[in-house]
Amino acid sequence: MSFKGLPEGVGDRTQSFRDAGYFWEILRGLGITMKHLVRNLRHTDEMPTMQYPEEKRVYSERFRGRHRLTQREDGSVRCVACQMCSTVCPADCIEIEAAEHPDPSIEKYPESFTIDLLRCVYCGLCEEACPCDAIRMDTGIYEIAADSREKFVVDKDFLLNNDTDGTL
Amino acid sequence: MVKLTIDSQQIEVPDGTRLFDACAQVRGEALPHFCYHPDLSIAGVCRLCQVEIEGMPKLTIARNTIVRDEMVVFTRNDRVKRAVQQVLELHLINHPVDCPICDQAGECGLQDQYMEYGLYESAVGVADKVNKRKVEVIGPQVILDQERCVLCTRCVRFCNEVTKTGELGIFYRGDRAEIGTPPGVELANNYSLNTVDICPVGALTSRDFRFQKRVWMLHGTASVCPGCATGCNVRIDHEGDRIYRLKPRFNPEVNGRWMCDRGRLEYKAVHDEKRLSEPLIRRSGGLEAITWQQMWRELTGLLKPGGVSLALTNPHQSLEELVLFRRLALQLAGESQVFGSIAGTEIGEADDLLLAADRTPNRRALSWLELPEIESADLVARSADAHRQRILIYGGDPAADDTVAAALRNCAQLVYFGTHRNATAELATLVVPLSMWAEKDGLFVNGQGRIQRFARAVARPRHAREDWRLLADLLAHLTGEQKLVSLTEVRRFAAAELALAGSLDLSTLPATGLVPDATEQAPAGGER
Repeated sequence: MSFKGLPEGVGDRTQSFRDAGYFWEILRGLGITMKHLVRNLRHTDEMPTMQYPEEKRVYSERFRGRHRLTQREDGSVRCVACQMCSTVCPADCIEIEAAEHPDPSIEKYPESFTIDLLRCVYCGLCEEACPCDAIRMDTGIYEIAADSREKFVVDKDFLLNNDTDGTL
Repeated sequence: MVKLTIDSQQIEVPDGTRLFDACAQVRGEALPHFCYHPDLSIAGVCRLCQVEIEGMPKLTIARNTIVRDEMVVFTRNDRVKRAVQQVLELHLINHPVDCPICDQAGECGLQDQYMEYGLYESAVGVADKVNKRKVEVIGPQVILDQERCVLCTRCVRFCNEVTKTGELGIFYRGDRAEIGTPPGVELANNYSLNTVDICPVGALTSRDFRFQKRVWMLHGTASVCPGCATGCNVRIDHEGDRIYRLKPRFNPEVNGRWMCDRGRLEYKAVHDEKRLSEPLIRRSGGLEAITWQQMWRELTGLLKPGGVSLALTNPHQSLEELVLFRRLALQLAGESQVFGSIAGTEIGEADDLLLAADRTPNRRALSWLELPEIESADLVARSADAHRQRILIYGGDPAADDTVAAALRNCAQLVYFGTHRNATAELATLVVPLSMWAEKDGLFVNGQGRIQRFARAVARPRHAREDWRLLADLLAHLTGEQKLVSLTEVRRFAAAELALAGSLDLSTLPATGLVPDATEQAPAGGER
């Protein structure tokens, strides 16, 4: 079969029976599979597959995990509710309600601070925008599971005491 | 005329022009400034509008300089730029740089100027700054932060020159100078929130708006204040379905750049928890929610031509709504049974600035439509007449008055078109939920006879309807005429009904509003 106006050989679908059956390619592919199977059986310690969840991968310290709110020395929330994070957030997942702090040198604090972990895209812009180092994503927690959507909306208390594992 | 050169550009301006204005003309934007405000006297204290004039050894502030012939001025050269930088550095020396918790952030003069002329590296560390008092409550509406103040004296001049109450002053000298009120004096005049507007930094902030929202999240909608007959032009700042504040909008014919504190809090009623969100019907003593289909059946069953013994509206409704209501009410009741308002209600005391005695936005429209007032005694007499009374009340809360409430309790059927579950709604047989001023488009006629447009900013409560749609539906149902299907059509209908000049298009009004007939004009809020 050939096509008018095209250079010689282009669009030519004529193949021999051997080529059309891809026999050689199938055998080569199976060979690679077998090679890895034999190697993995002989050197089980070098296998890239991990026995998750018993075994866990070690991530860099800069890995962006679930957020936490940092605390002042007295344990109060460091956040001043400036809403830079919720302004910069591309997923619009942070909701903050500000209130008057009794101490005039602090003045403003978040009465409520919620993050919708399902909407969050873990981009880390909130960390970068924060002028008070109040929000961090350094918990290293990446397993986030719950049995309802509501539970993924985490509040200030949860974010302040973020020492639980992935289950919400 | 004077000819001068600014930034190597020739310009001709009238004699006596301030150099500041001439520079603004050439630059397309004003010189950096804090203390200058178009409606206040010239102070010349912030030293930011410095320019270089050829032949003068030192830089001069442009606001205080009057143009001369053959003047050669530079506003953008390195010397000027460096001077402005240094002045700004001085302004910021003890500034706490607490923008994250400052409500002014986003509309702050200091932030804006600093983006253009900033040094970005402060010579004084945050720990070495002089601390002053923060969170100082100086009045019912205003909060003062001494650290953020740049001593531009705009607020002091406002209280001296505009309200003439003089609550604010500068105390102490040099680097200890601060804005304050004398002992025992509060910034409690009805225009105190204007000082918040004109404060170029975050020194004076509103207590009502405090920490409610960051300003860059707000959307502005041009509207008119419904608080009194002056009809100050406002901007409704809202986000989502919530209004956060009202700000004055410049209109030289009505309110200039100011508005009163009372008007600024008018938005609170929109988010009142008593707002009606569903049609209600009285069954076995209590009010029960029903669907609109059911309500429509009830309404058309009750409101029959000639079947209403008294129809009453009020001057809070828009011009279009009043026109439609008048048509509708004349179908339902006789001409002597349709009233615009109850005499003597919602009248307060006027001040000599903006606040008018008439605390309703649209009373002038009632007189244009010749909807008469009714004395409350007359209303009581009419309602007490018979037990077969059918009364239609559109808006307002006449039953807030006890004697009227007692009279209305006797009438057989009371249909109430309203916005709040108030005393009148509690007496009504049918309660129809409608929208408030911020939730619909419309026109108000202020005390001057000026037609001004207000626009929808936020959504209505769940099942509330736009007033004109309900009125137009009812009107079409009663008369069998073609239904008015758009606000443009309603406005055309209103113009015809009011016998306004044929060329007058109520849908496209000038920005400053429109006074249709010069003879109608009267002062709205006294002299300004």
